[in-house]
Amino acid sequence: MDRLHRRKNLRTGNSAPPSAPHLAPGRRLVLGGIAATLAGLPPARPTLAQTTLAQPSLPQPALVQARPVRIGMITSLSGPFTALGESMRAGMQLLLAQSGHRLAGRPVEFLVEDDLARSEEGARKARKLIGQDRVDLLCGVISSGVALALRDVVTEARTPTFLLGSANDLARGAASPFIVRPTKTNWMLGTTAARWAHEKLSGARVLTVGSDYAAGREYIGDFAATYQQLGGRLGRQLWTPLGSADFGPLLTTIAAERPEAVYGFFAGSDAVRFLRQWKEYRLAGRVPLFGAGAFFDQEDVLPAVGDAALGALGTFHQSPTAPASAAFNQAYMATGKPLPGEFSTTGYVCGQVIRATLERADGDLADWAKACGALFSAPVETAFGTMPFDPRNGQAILDIHVNEVRRGEDGRMVNTVLHTYEKLRDPGPDA
Amino acid sequence: MGYAIVQTLNALSFSALLLLTGLGLSVVLSLMNFVNLAHGGFYLLGSYVAVLWLGSGAPWWLAFPAAFLAAGLAGAVLERFPFRRFYARPHLMQVLLTYGLSVIMADLMRWGFGAQILTPELPAALQGVVFLFDMPFPLYRLFLIGAGVALGLLLWLLLDRTLWGAVLRAAVTDRGIVETLGIDTRHLFAAVLVLSAGLGGLSGALGAGMLAAYPGLDEEVLILALVTVVVGGLGSFGGTVAGALVVGFALTFSKVWFPEFANVVAFSAMAGFLLLRPNGLIAPPLRQI
Repeated sequence: MDRLHRRKNLRTGNSAPPSAPHLAPGRRLVLGGIAATLAGLPPARPTLAQTTLAQPSLPQPALVQARPVRIGMITSLSGPFTALGESMRAGMQLLLAQSGHRLAGRPVEFLVEDDLARSEEGARKARKLIGQDRVDLLCGVISSGVALALRDVVTEARTPTFLLGSANDLARGAASPFIVRPTKTNWMLGTTAARWAHEKLSGARVLTVGSDYAAGREYIGDFAATYQQLGGRLGRQLWTPLGSADFGPLLTTIAAERPEAVYGFFAGSDAVRFLRQWKEYRLAGRVPLFGAGAFFDQEDVLPAVGDAALGALGTFHQSPTAPASAAFNQAYMATGKPLPGEFSTTGYVCGQVIRATLERADGDLADWAKACGALFSAPVETAFGTMPFDPRNGQAILDIHVNEVRRGEDGRMVNTVLHTYEKLRDPGPDA
Repeated sequence: MGYAIVQTLNALSFSALLLLTGLGLSVVLSLMNFVNLAHGGFYLLGSYVAVLWLGSGAPWWLAFPAAFLAAGLAGAVLERFPFRRFYARPHLMQVLLTYGLSVIMADLMRWGFGAQILTPELPAALQGVVFLFDMPFPLYRLFLIGAGVALGLLLWLLLDRTLWGAVLRAAVTDRGIVETLGIDTRHLFAAVLVLSAGLGGLSGALGAGMLAAYPGLDEEVLILALVTVVVGGLGSFGGTVAGALVVGFALTFSKVWFPEFANVVAFSAMAGFLLLRPNGLIAPPLRQI
């Protein structure tokens, strides 16, 4: 709208609208709209295609670059993922603050919307950010369900989006030319956990236990598939509904099975309850426990479970002891936060990738295909390490760490890197 | 053998937790005919108070009275305004009011206690474990079972065996007659609501070791408490006890036998059961006027 306004003024020969400098941006927008309507220009915001066409006719690119870049974030600020959503927002805000709220020379306007962890709400908020707030790009999302719902909305609206859910399908069937994925897929963690188990447990019979929802099914399913491929033996596979109040019955069943090792996946409050009760039922220390992803999240889970997870192993693309994360750890903790976990780091990394994208495109995302090409041409240095992208699906290629939960110097539990599987690339469209 | 005993104890400890949360809800529902959907908020408040108390180093057993008092105080404030004006209103109005309040309480608690998942530092005395035929069972859960039985018994004595309880039951049946006897029923109802909120807080303190404390737990607990009260039968104390046992055993043994379909099995069983006995397990003769 602002751009239309200026274009009209350029055409009519005015150097600047006389009253504009004294008006608040909101009113300027309104006035611009009226002016545009009167001039017979389309009053609606330009679609991406229109903007692209109009671009070469703009005589002063400097003006375009001074225009603020609007970043919309959709995350969960209420509902089951509240703490994760707040961490994600904090990570992004930290990066923006470090960049002086300017990316590639353009001031940044950062808008955050709450998806309540519900896909229809996420899609509604995305339409609002795209249609009403006219963001230049979108980012965010905790829940993969919301991510899959957003996929269609942003692809249809042709809005550049940095999408953070981790369902495998986001890098496969649901990949989109408008979506960049600066985070892991569930497959990366499940398959590396199986490789580690095969190397270190030498074919032990592994019992699996997991939350019965999309992510749990993928973490456990990819582990089981790879582990069996490598010749490992699986014991019973136990599933429990998302949001189980009491794990006592399940843990008693596990104790009676006497497995050689247990591989599991839970997240959030389920992970906290499972691990605490894992210790209460005296399984901690007796049966080796390993898992994937958010099961042992540094920020969300470990502070709440005391030493119940001590010695557990998890595969994760995030670790506070990974060298690439050191600078971010310090900056994040300087804002009064604890040692960072997955989602604060992911929010920060998402910001780093957005910054790199804007810088490589000279602050202008109008030609998204070109901006994407520039982003994919060379890896980005992030708090997850050096991050190349797979041009087929916009999916990041990541180093996956095997973390052991160890007691740190100050007595706190810390995810400590034991081993790193380098450059994990999701099979993507080949899967 | 040990396996069966421990699974039964698992079911009993979960039933005890359900009983504790259900009691507070059923007291106001059965005695005052007031639907209080903010009960989950009282529970969560009690959990937070207990987590902070147990982390502070003060004598651990005082955490439970502290949680009772904190939630009871919140109940007393809310009783003065606006609950009191809604006792005589239809259920739908009460549902709207208390649901709205529960959302406000949830937001206030998220603001005050943060969105992180908090867990209590259990005292050493409760961290132990007993081995039954070589199967471990946590002491903390035995403590839960004991607390459930003790509190249930205490409440039953109070309501069924004391003069105060008799007056209360009379006031529910016919408030007008009781007032003509010179008894201020407003105070009576206020006391019941404070008791109910306090019980919610106390059960939150006791249950924190099993369920932890985090935003959103209030709703999960409220649903469990509602299911317990409805299955047991509205308006009877024995019903809540029976409901807690049925729901606790159903949810536990569905996890033992069909872990994958635990919720489906347990809740279909309860739905089928309600079709057979729409008034719940133990339904008192209808005395609503």
